[in-house]
Amino acid sequence: MEAVRFEDFSYQYPKTGQGLDRVTLSVPQGSFTVVTGTNGSGKTTLCLAMTGLVPHFFGGAMSGRVMVEGYNTADRAVADTAANVGLVMEDYESQLVALTVFDEVAFALENAAVPAHLIRDRVLAALESVGLAGLEERELSALSGGQKQRLAVASVLVSRPAILVLDEPTSALDPEGAADLYELIARLNREQGITVVVSEHDLARALPHADSVVVMAAGRVALAGPLNEVLTRMLSEQVYDAAVPSLRRLKAALETEQRQFSAWMTAGEAAAEINACLKSTRRLSLSA
Amino acid sequence: MKSLAPLCNLLLMIMVSIWTVLLWDPALLALLLALELGLLAVAGQLGKLAKALFGLFMVAMFFAAIQLPFDVAVATAVASGLKMMVMTVAVLLMLATTRLPSLTAALVRQVRIPYEYAFMFTSALRFMPDFIAESHAVREAQVCRGYVHSKNPLKRIVAYAASVEPMVLRAITRSDTMAMSLELRGFGSVNRTFSQQIAFQTRDYLMVGFLALVTAAVIVCR
Ligand SMILES: Nc1ncnc2c1ncn2[C@@H]1O[C@H](COP(=O)(O)OP(=O)(O)O)[C@@H](O)[C@H]1O
Ligand SMILES: [Mg+2]
Repeated sequence: MEAVRFEDFSYQYPKTGQGLDRVTLSVPQGSFTVVTGTNGSGKTTLCLAMTGLVPHFFGGAMSGRVMVEGYNTADRAVADTAANVGLVMEDYESQLVALTVFDEVAFALENAAVPAHLIRDRVLAALESVGLAGLEERELSALSGGQKQRLAVASVLVSRPAILVLDEPTSALDPEGAADLYELIARLNREQGITVVVSEHDLARALPHADSVVVMAAGRVALAGPLNEVLTRMLSEQVYDAAVPSLRRLKAALETEQRQFSAWMTAGEAAAEINACLKSTRRLSLSA
Repeated sequence: MKSLAPLCNLLLMIMVSIWTVLLWDPALLALLLALELGLLAVAGQLGKLAKALFGLFMVAMFFAAIQLPFDVAVATAVASGLKMMVMTVAVLLMLATTRLPSLTAALVRQVRIPYEYAFMFTSALRFMPDFIAESHAVREAQVCRGYVHSKNPLKRIVAYAASVEPMVLRAITRSDTMAMSLELRGFGSVNRTFSQQIAFQTRDYLMVGFLALVTAAVIVCR
């Protein structure tokens, strides 16, 4: 079954009229999907549509529908859809509303009227699963950026959603922090079977963990499907192909050419021959 | 103190303030102040607050001193300075020994203040450090672009005004994100639970009894 399904979904924001254009897409259950594309291509809007905030929060015109675990998001309150989909927004700092770590994670449970004696264990388990165990009494202002982001993840995980959506989670992190965060998300995906959707303009960061890719362009789905297939098509159809990591491009170029190489003796020889090969396909040049 | 229910701590603060209004004997007020400082020490906050307390002491002295030229008895002037200190320390004591989220929970559940109002108050505190950090960042950016902070107060006001605009813009997008976060997490539901321990226990009832006794004594002794 699909975790999320867009059926011919179009949406326009009230003021700009921009948004999504006839999106048809399915996110398989248990998958790790990366949504990529240039700035303004519709990644954030796609994420918000999975939570029902588009259109409930913004208003605007829509047609078609978005189904989340079998429910139409248009027919449900945002807080109800949030029981199925957890969202970590790009500006995750502003997503946090409480004074202390414990209260932040408990917030959604308290609002959902979960009995007080059940809250503590669930909060501690959520903190444990993002590596923040022991920090529950900390004030938010005493956390680092990376810790705040993990806290934002814990604060949605505590509602036990089957799907976790993260919008540009690494845009404020250094490469090391980004790698750590992807490790964490991949572990949640692997060990708890949570379906993960990540929007990421820097495709290379997400690639080691992803199994499917969606490429957005001007509010439409340009390409979608299993990782290798989509990467190959990004190159051959030249859709956002600049984002494909260079080794992937090299692989694709070599595979399409099916070329034989001479017996390389030095790195210089190898580079020269590979560059000659790549130049003939006009796709990339490799610096030695 | 830390082990008292938050509402009990609040009640303690209010009752101490009432006694302070009723009492005019400098010796009794000084005793009350000594008790408060003792409690602050027990709560481990005395060292942290020493500087603020000293400042407060100076202000209270000044307050007492300026009354003397107006033909006020020395004892009365000293008492009014002490009153000021006792009340302020009572508030400090309450804040030092009560976690704010617990106090919020108590105000909503036991005093029946609407949760939305209590939440507005805590979220203002939540975003205060962020705003301060942002205003520093904006001013640093101004300095980087060659802005010199002048001693002229008028120019300083203009400089502050220039840093307001980017902060307001940021605050608007921020409040949108926060509003979305609140909606996602079911804020505003009717049946809310609070995970904080706020219920009265035996020691809280004992404290309330004690407060009532002292209040009665204060009224009788007047
Ligand atoms: N709140 C909004 N109101 C009006 N238009 C918006 C809003 N948010 C985004 N848009 C427009 O919708 C389009 C898609 O934006 P977005 O989903 O944010 O793209 P991305 O996340 O890929 O950068 C853009 O043209 C953008 O200008
Ligand atoms: Mg975006």
